Amino acid sequence: MARLEIEGLCKGWDFPVIDRMDLTVEEGEFFVVVGPSGIGKTTLLRLIAGLEVPNEGRIVLGGKDITRLPPYKRPVAMTFESYALYPHLSVFENIASPLRARRLPRAEVQQRVMDVARLLKIDQLVARRPAEISGGQKQRTALGRTLVAEPEAFLLDEPISHLDAKIRHELRAQFHTLEALRRVSNIYVTHDYAEALSLGDRIGVAGPGGLVQIGTAHEVFERPETLFVAEHMGQPSINVLDCELTSENGVLFARHLESSLALPVAQPHVERLNGGNVGRVSYGIRPQYVSVMEDGENLRGEQHVVDGTVTLFEPLGTYAILIAEAGGATITALSSPEHRYEHGESVRLVVDTAQAFFFDRDSGKNLVL
Amino acid sequence: MSERNYRLVAILMFVFLGLWALISLFPYYFQFITGFKGIEEVNRITPTFWPDEFMWSNLDLIFSDETNVAALLDTLLIASANTALAVFLGSLAGYALARFPRQAGGENMAFWILSNRMFPPVAILLPMFRAFDTVFGSTDNHISLIILYLVFNMPLATWLMMVFFRDAPRELEEAAYLDGYSPLRAFFKITLPQVVPGMMSVALLCWIFAWNEYLFANMLVGSNVAVNTIQTPGFVQGAQKLWNLAALFSLIAVIPPVVLFLVLRRYMVRGLSLGVVKG
Repeated sequence: MARLEIEGLCKGWDFPVIDRMDLTVEEGEFFVVVGPSGIGKTTLLRLIAGLEVPNEGRIVLGGKDITRLPPYKRPVAMTFESYALYPHLSVFENIASPLRARRLPRAEVQQRVMDVARLLKIDQLVARRPAEISGGQKQRTALGRTLVAEPEAFLLDEPISHLDAKIRHELRAQFHTLEALRRVSNIYVTHDYAEALSLGDRIGVAGPGGLVQIGTAHEVFERPETLFVAEHMGQPSINVLDCELTSENGVLFARHLESSLALPVAQPHVERLNGGNVGRVSYGIRPQYVSVMEDGENLRGEQHVVDGTVTLFEPLGTYAILIAEAGGATITALSSPEHRYEHGESVRLVVDTAQAFFFDRDSGKNLVL
Repeated sequence: MSERNYRLVAILMFVFLGLWALISLFPYYFQFITGFKGIEEVNRITPTFWPDEFMWSNLDLIFSDETNVAALLDTLLIASANTALAVFLGSLAGYALARFPRQAGGENMAFWILSNRMFPPVAILLPMFRAFDTVFGSTDNHISLIILYLVFNMPLATWLMMVFFRDAPRELEEAAYLDGYSPLRAFFKITLPQVVPGMMSVALLCWIFAWNEYLFANMLVGSNVAVNTIQTPGFVQGAQKLWNLAALFSLIAVIPPVVLFLVLRRYMVRGLSLGVVKG
């Protein structure tokens, strides 16, 4: 049993960082915490590891209350964002460190370290010092040091964020396949939403005061509970327009407060929005639901066309980001990189209004869930 | 800069450094030749810059006198024991100040410790003599100087070790805790090795201070125990000052620090730059 339970956890310095957080991570679960930097993701890991003492609350691991245990008595292992490899020790000794701490027999240490090193493909490097290996190898050494310990909980703090794209992809694949991670509870912290969507069995979106939404990748991406979640999942980030809901000739419109842009509200949303009796809202539409209208293209369902002019076009290989001005509002759209748009070019943007979100202006709550 | 100017600067630089080296080394040269002159030649009004005859027997005169050998050994014992104590205690105190500043008294405590080196030592000469005389019954022993020199060396060691420990990444220690090491084991396995270069330079500075100290040694010891600095002026024969033996003895006393420095030079450079540049 290596279930991790957190109850009513509070931690703050001048201001609360984590406020009455409850979380349960099941054995074998890969739980990813994603959120902007400085929001307290690392603090959460440090609390679980015992490097920080909570102001209130309980941390239970495998049925045992570890809230007051010092870090060296907790069955947790953690990788640090900086890797924190011991510079004066070889890769072998770095990985062996948790085993040496338990004073295991020499032969067993040798066996277990080399098993882990082979698994992570660093068995050729064990004699080297951390200064003599590459970033990706350092990361794997740090991972090896945590794997070899066979803890009950794994805490991974931005383990692959600072590596180049190719190695990141390789290591991400490795996280999917590592058997060792399937026997313990894992908490993986990242600021990269794509990493979170790729790796997480469940995802917790870290916001002010703790986790603002917990759910599967599909849930947090497609059904964000708050504007904060919607804004931090997705690249490029969601278009947000401050709108007033007004009824014109029996049709409900979201009218942008700072421009002449007005978008009709799709039929399913009208009911959830109580016929429009909510006044002002934040209207959110992801760039992938805004496209450039091709010649001869027919509109479907709840699609709506607005006229705009291109202010910026960024081709990014497999897709392109197009930023346009429509009636005075700035809208980001995704387009194909094949057609190059010039600055100032007129375009017709197709907005799939059925995919829009409506957030409460004050609480940020999603009104159309 | 043109090729010619560049070479000119290089030449001027070597000329300047060469002159500087000559000026710096001349006293040692003169000490060396004086040490092997006969006393009659030393006392001549016109100095000679090359001995008429090298009196190698002067070496025998020095080493045949037990008190000379004893003085060197006593100094070695006092300086080494004092250095070991200062570095050990200074490391503990420095670690506390670096890692637990609030509990250890903070900046004020750190500054107070350093401020102990700021008063003129002679101000505490007599009180210290009285204090050690009362406690140990006599001051003419090794332990008095070993402890007394801590007054000067511990603030230095504490302050420098504090700086080195501050620069040692805390995360490495935290990683060690998570590996399962208790704070004490983590200190010895992970943190201490990070500061070894700094520690070596601290040790060297402490050792050289203790080896060279004269003021307190002159007051506290002299008969049972002697150190090289108070032995050096003692080469007399009646009213005759034996400059050649004094020069030779002090030249011998210069050798240990030089050897030590050469051995530890690698650490010294790294250690002293530790606090300046990270990485």
